[in-house]
Amino acid sequence: MKNTVMTFLVSALAFCVIGCTGGTDAAPKTASNQPADQKPASGGFKVALITPGPVSDSGWNALAYDGLMAIQKGLGAEVKNDDATGTKIKDSMRSYAQDGYNLVIGHGFEYNDPEAEVAANFPKTVFVSSSGGKTGANFGAFRFALEQGFYLAGALAAEMSKTGKIAMIGGPKVPSIESTFNAFRAGAMAEKKGIQVFEEFTGKDSDIQAAKQLTEAQLAKGADVVIHQANAAAQGVFDACKEKNVWALGANLNQNDNASGVVIASAVIVAQPAFLELAKAVKAGTYKGEITTVGMDKGAIDFIVNPKLQAKIPADVLKKLEDMKAKIKSGALSVPMDKF
Amino acid sequence: MATWDSVASLLRYSSPVALAAVGETVVEVSGIINIGLEGMMLAGAYAAVVGSLQTGNPWIGVLYGVGAGIAFALVNCLVLVYLRVDQVLAGTAMNLLSLGLTSTLFRARFGQSGQLISAPEISRFAGVDVIIIGLAVLVLGLHFLIRRSGWGLALRACGEYPSAARASGYSVEMLRCSALLIGGLFGGLAGAYLSIGIAGSFAENMTSGRGFVAIALVTFGRWRTPWVLAAALLIGYAESLQYSLQGTSSIPYQFFLALPYLIALAVLVFVGKGAIAPESLGNTELEVG
Repeated sequence: MKNTVMTFLVSALAFCVIGCTGGTDAAPKTASNQPADQKPASGGFKVALITPGPVSDSGWNALAYDGLMAIQKGLGAEVKNDDATGTKIKDSMRSYAQDGYNLVIGHGFEYNDPEAEVAANFPKTVFVSSSGGKTGANFGAFRFALEQGFYLAGALAAEMSKTGKIAMIGGPKVPSIESTFNAFRAGAMAEKKGIQVFEEFTGKDSDIQAAKQLTEAQLAKGADVVIHQANAAAQGVFDACKEKNVWALGANLNQNDNASGVVIASAVIVAQPAFLELAKAVKAGTYKGEITTVGMDKGAIDFIVNPKLQAKIPADVLKKLEDMKAKIKSGALSVPMDKF
Repeated sequence: MATWDSVASLLRYSSPVALAAVGETVVEVSGIINIGLEGMMLAGAYAAVVGSLQTGNPWIGVLYGVGAGIAFALVNCLVLVYLRVDQVLAGTAMNLLSLGLTSTLFRARFGQSGQLISAPEISRFAGVDVIIIGLAVLVLGLHFLIRRSGWGLALRACGEYPSAARASGYSVEMLRCSALLIGGLFGGLAGAYLSIGIAGSFAENMTSGRGFVAIALVTFGRWRTPWVLAAALLIGYAESLQYSLQGTSSIPYQFFLALPYLIALAVLVFVGKGAIAPESLGNTELEVG
């Protein structure tokens, strides 16, 4: 019995690890520090994407996958993707580099440190992470300023709330998500000083029940506008809002047409043009390792009000949002962004 | 009314784990540990969403979910009962199979980058539905069957000392298969309830370890279905507490996330001595004689 329990615990742990990191469609892993066996890029342009979770999450990872597809279509590139976290990151990066990939995109700040290490061994491959601080000749980072969209979402939430309480529901508590939440809070506070903003995390990425339960708890505390960073579990947030007939805000992708009918606006990352531009620069050989931030000014971030629900928002609020958007684009209004 | 609402929501949110745990209890009483419960739930959850979307009728979805659970149970019958494969290995394989299978099917059907699905949900009256009421009845019914019926006595013999059951003329294989099928029915139903009773949606790996919690609850509930149900409700209560307590204090949110498991551990420490596991649980050796 003792043995069974121990083996069970070990296998449960193993399953959790595999479950959290996806474990599906993984690229062949060959761990090697030898730069010598890097194949020359044989004619075709090859791009790889590494995401922290499954790309079917209708959120952060999904938009990167859409970006990768844009590269495939736009440049006729050969593309491949897998999910890798923790110690698997460097293995995955190395195997892509060895297979002659020209560009390897790691979709998250956590890919910046590993790429700095791996890039030194593979000078013919360009490594780019979504945010992060390190750069070199063949590696860098580009960051989507989703905070700008969340700032506007915060302002709208503050205006739409009747109770003076609004909530943010996150999956795992990671710096990139916290940064967007901070921007949301700042946007709400700038609009209404006394507004109460609840910040909660389920700690899990695909747990719809947890997202729903957590949202219900916030609504019970009086929150009546909710934004999320729950990716695949977002439906739980929207459902809870629908049951209590309060507004929700979409994030990452345009979720205005969600079946719940309560998504009044979405803070959106428009990833395809940014991904395509990056790939073009790498293909042309003009890419220089750098840290770039892409925001509303470059059309990479947007805040889209649901046209079907637009009538529910007072005209002066809509106008105010448009003005703020223009100010963010022109740089007259700068939105707080955490460094990580 | 507010209190009834919170009771109803506790019942609802505890049900997926409770259903799975009650089914697993029957399986464990027969001497088999179904580590693949998590995968079974996940398969049930996916099948239920597909059924509900296809027909627009959530009850057809429930049938699909139960069907998926039973399909998994049939594989279990072959692999665990007749081929006598190591139960931890086979269960782990089933979990991986289910995670891969549901994710692949999900992407094939709803696109590589996924969709936020909204499937027709089971209707509720005053916050509870037929499955919750059914759960209470089934728990008592199963308890009676296991403790008071001839089938139950034979089943318990399979879990304690299979040779004795065989010597008395029972087919250990058939008895264990019957237990596995009941477990499959409950596992599939648990997944279906999670996806179309609660979430109204599906996401890859949406069970998030609930199957493993359910297996732990069987030990926690000392292999008696009413106690297993009570344990599920206690953990469910701790979980709901966690959601309302989070953010109200300076204690890190991770502590509240761990709270249900801390309670489970504490209870196991105190009631552990009284827990009597089926003697042959997980034993794959052919019994002598």
